Amino acid sequence: MKTGYHALVKRLLDGELTLAELPPELRAEGEEALRLVGAADRAPVALSPALDERVMATVRRHAGDARANRVWRWLNTPRDVELRLRVRPWTVWAGGLAAAAALALLLGRAAPAPQPGPGTQARAGTRDSVLVRFVLYAPGARRVAVAGTFNQWDRSIAPLVPAGTSGVWTTTLALPVGQHQYAFVVDGARWIVDPAAPAVDDGFGRRNSVVAVSAPGGHTL
Amino acid sequence: MRTTGLTVGLVLATLFAGGLAAQDVPLRLDGRVSPDVQRAVRRIAADAAARDLPVDPLVQKAIEGAAKGVPAERVIAAVRALAARLADAMAAVREGGVAAPSGDFVEAGADALNTGLSRSQVAELVRVSQPPQDPAITLRVAATLAALGVPATQAVQLVEGMITAGRSPSDLLGLPGQVQAGVAGGSTAAQAAAGLARAAGGTPPGRTPGWVPPGQTNPNKPPPNPHKPPPNPHKP
Repeated sequence: MKTGYHALVKRLLDGELTLAELPPELRAEGEEALRLVGAADRAPVALSPALDERVMATVRRHAGDARANRVWRWLNTPRDVELRLRVRPWTVWAGGLAAAAALALLLGRAAPAPQPGPGTQARAGTRDSVLVRFVLYAPGARRVAVAGTFNQWDRSIAPLVPAGTSGVWTTTLALPVGQHQYAFVVDGARWIVDPAAPAVDDGFGRRNSVVAVSAPGGHTL
Repeated sequence: MRTTGLTVGLVLATLFAGGLAAQDVPLRLDGRVSPDVQRAVRRIAADAAARDLPVDPLVQKAIEGAAKGVPAERVIAAVRALAARLADAMAAVREGGVAAPSGDFVEAGADALNTGLSRSQVAELVRVSQPPQDPAITLRVAATLAALGVPATQAVQLVEGMITAGRSPSDLLGLPGQVQAGVAGGSTAAQAAAGLARAAGGTPPGRTPGWVPPGQTNPNKPPPNPHKPPPNPHKP
């Protein structure tokens, strides 16, 4: 996205100047900037026609295999059970051992987590999520998506929507509080960093953008 | 006979429940990465878990590599490098005085190392982050500053300066945004950070924390030694 507007054009976008107050040589740039901002802000929410298909494909992928489903259904099917209790010593021992194992497991899991010192204060409110808007200027792109640690790097889950024909693509996602790495995927294959965000080495010879989401009024990063 | 089945079922259920945590890694990788990567990551993750390191970042890195179409051996190398960085971060955080850090805390340390901070700088930031400061947030802020292009040493000095000047955690969180604003205004990231350090009354670049400008009193300077004899006025 163009970020190098003239200072006077930026003041125009901030509402401090009118178009008529701009020098004649900057009016075309000012009009273009106003048009871009207007298109981005008024762009209606348009769902991709392929959304249903993508959602169902994801559901099918997570649904597991048929054998697991059959086992799960068998476990959940109600049936009559005839229970005849004939207590024998070895049965009591086996049952007691199983119960003790289950109890030990439950107690082990319920034990308090180790206190990591002051760091635990930051975890309060980590279940919160905050709406984050992603914007990319990619003229000529046919598809743009954002993939990152918040969506398992799945390039089909979070597509960006074009704002008219300006080349600006946007989407708004609810991200959990914390720090996330992400990248834009253009036309399903080209991974590019967000030019408006800090970037770090991704370990594969490329870079990831970083977004830190903090809870409103909180200190959690 | 049914009683026997019930007992065996309970034992099996107990054993199965105990193994769920260990099975979490392959479940998350299933269908997302190749079998080779899955096997290798499972081993690396098991080793990391045995050392109390967080496993989730390793799984995420493997999934990221596969999504980006990175060759298997390179994905495995990246996951292995990340595990080593997490171990370094754990050691640094412990050096900083936190004996049992959370997974997120260790991950913040690893991210800081990834952006160019040294292990001793990570330990130092943890050490100076006394309440109300949160050391994990301190590390995140320093890492974000470094990712924005502020040299690592300067990022650490800026954050330390803010903390020693008594600034709040919210002030710390605002630093990356202020550096970005400075860069948008035409400064380099280093210049923007230096300006913030001056404005905060913190340590300017090239000075150690606790530095006091000439002519000012150092509030942290220890009192004079009462046992030291006064200077002799007759001595030439």
